[in-house]
Amino acid sequence: MTFKNLFIDHERSKEEEEWIREELAEQEQRFAKIDRQMSDLAPARAKWYEEFFDRISLRGFNADGDQKVKIKREDLPVKPEGREDRVVWKYGVDGE
Amino acid sequence: MARPHIEPFVDRDVTFKRMLLPGFGRDMHYKMLSMDGDTGACTMTVQLDGGYSQPPGFSWSEWEIMVVEGELQLDDRTVRKGHYFFVPAGYAMPAIKSEQGAIVLMMYNTGEPSLVEATEHHHLAHTNLYHDVDSYLDITWVPGNIVKPAVASGVMIKLLNYNPISHAMTFIYCMTPAFYQDNISYHDCAEESYHLWGTSWMMQFGDIPTGGYFWRPAYINHGAFASEFGCIALGRVDSKLFNYFHYNPWSTPQENQTRAAARVYQRDPLLYKWMVSHSHNHPHGPEDFEQTQKLRGPEFPDNEPETDGHKHSHWHTHKHHHHSHD
Repeated sequence: MTFKNLFIDHERSKEEEEWIREELAEQEQRFAKIDRQMSDLAPARAKWYEEFFDRISLRGFNADGDQKVKIKREDLPVKPEGREDRVVWKYGVDGE
Repeated sequence: MARPHIEPFVDRDVTFKRMLLPGFGRDMHYKMLSMDGDTGACTMTVQLDGGYSQPPGFSWSEWEIMVVEGELQLDDRTVRKGHYFFVPAGYAMPAIKSEQGAIVLMMYNTGEPSLVEATEHHHLAHTNLYHDVDSYLDITWVPGNIVKPAVASGVMIKLLNYNPISHAMTFIYCMTPAFYQDNISYHDCAEESYHLWGTSWMMQFGDIPTGGYFWRPAYINHGAFASEFGCIALGRVDSKLFNYFHYNPWSTPQENQTRAAARVYQRDPLLYKWMVSHSHNHPHGPEDFEQTQKLRGPEFPDNEPETDGHKHSHWHTHKHHHHSHD
């Protein structure tokens, strides 16, 4: 989080510390549920990827605004061998 | 450790909890959308029951409010849905009431929610940063192509807050019915969104309906995009928004970040080389002289202006030369 506006230093009460601990524990559960749901969505997503490849090769890829570029079929990417289809990354580049 | 990737999450799927933190009124209930484990900064959907009342006071954290439904009363002012507040840390807000109840989004940016009863601002408050606006009625929609490369036509935005140092932004955006954009995007910044109304779709995450939410750390793929019937949402980024577009759905955040650095190298090679060669011993980035330079301060001698602020002595002084035309 880098909004970088002012924060005024202060002492957190025990009550506040406990509240944050509880919320973070619930957030862990929320994240785990989302991660499962997004794994379950993989078969539908595989179909969406193929439809996306069809659209950008036949109608165009939005390169900038409404400027569309048709991507040759031979220039479409292939899934790297052994790589799972993953869309949820807990802390992005900091957590992997 | 920062906020985790919460995407997608729909607040309609969970129930409200009573707010028990000190200072807030007893008739406040909330649904936690995301929280920063280090600072306690968080975003919540908040329900204020009819008759809600909280005293005047400030927060230790900078915070933002968007009224989603209902009305709030601040002293003798009534604000309605679409009203947005940016409140600096230490800024004393008046007493807040809701006679009939309200749903609001509360975003605490730099610390956990707090309310210290006070009628005067904390002496460290940057009071000049405070602003509020009826975003639905008093700001007009503008095309969403504020950054290049740009989103497709059909995304419109209203800018609500902009941080000139970090380039963090808060805005509402809408997608027109039948909107679509066929690319995959990622950014150098974290991105957050709450759907005030309507459904949009992203190729990775499926449909996000009314009440749908995400907090997405930097460099994570999202898109292609579409909205069959249109939507309106509140969006935020925590630093500069730049659109990196591509069409490889299997790239990882690390690969995306490396590509972003490659793009900086291709675009600004001199700056990139300098940054890489000075990359050690600067955990907080290079020095920004504007933030460290010596300032005059209140005790500076002879600190009164000498002119009226309109003088440009280097300009044409209206001397007239007479030439012979013979």
